[in-house]
Amino acid sequence: MEIAPEQEAQIVRKAQMGDHAALSQLVSLYTNRIYRLALRLTGSEQDAEDVLQETFLIMIKKIKQFQMKSSFYTWLYRIAVNVGLRHLKTKPFKYQHVSIDDPDIERVSSMEAQEWPAIDYDHISRKKFRKKLDSAIEQLPEMYRTVFILRDLHELSTEDTAKILNITPSNTKIRLMRARNFLKDHLEDLVKAEAII
Amino acid sequence: MKCDPKLINKVCDYLGGDLNSEPCQIIKEHIEKCHNCDIFIDKIKKTVEIYQKADSCDCAPENVTRNLFLKLDLCEPKKSEHSK
Repeated sequence: MEIAPEQEAQIVRKAQMGDHAALSQLVSLYTNRIYRLALRLTGSEQDAEDVLQETFLIMIKKIKQFQMKSSFYTWLYRIAVNVGLRHLKTKPFKYQHVSIDDPDIERVSSMEAQEWPAIDYDHISRKKFRKKLDSAIEQLPEMYRTVFILRDLHELSTEDTAKILNITPSNTKIRLMRARNFLKDHLEDLVKAEAII
Repeated sequence: MKCDPKLINKVCDYLGGDLNSEPCQIIKEHIEKCHNCDIFIDKIKKTVEIYQKADSCDCAPENVTRNLFLKLDLCEPKKSEHSK
């Protein structure tokens, strides 16, 4: 459920005064979003649950310090990303380091690029296929993965993403462009391997 | 057709921004003439769409939500108040 920003601000103020019902409402509002963020970031359901719990424990502990200068979700997402990244540091990286480059459009031009057919949404919702998509996200180094998750999966603005990650908006755009290009290449291989779209 | 490197930079800039927004006039004019860049941008857009669709299939399992509220020592609001 989405609620209006003014309504959310009201709930936040109540939560800051120690209102348990308001805290529950905030947790409930953001559970799915933070879980999905943590799942994509860590690539593991168990880790996602740990990140989810720690994020909200910190939220409850620090909510009185939130000064309403930014939106509540920016503040909460920043906590979740920091918890998630800290969590990742304790785990060995599952994949070999991959090279993330700018799109080589000149090379594409010379390859007689072929269009992809229409998207088959039923195929996308299959768990087996989604696992293949997830494995590509997991191969992205953190600095690209976090930007892709926040900008494209959670549809945050370039500015909010930059604030959360403490980077510049132009750096956010560069990282996003490279992440999208990497995932496109990965998907291109999947398209060739199976008739998915 | 070989793309002008300056145009490639502009296309790259667009690819790191808001894909739902209209590209600038220079890119629009270019992709009208350059089939490969047009396809390239379309593939990037489809990639994002596919990942968004796949991501939306996931939500916190019931036991995860239950454990969360237990851990936080809070009462879970009724279903109708749940997030998307």
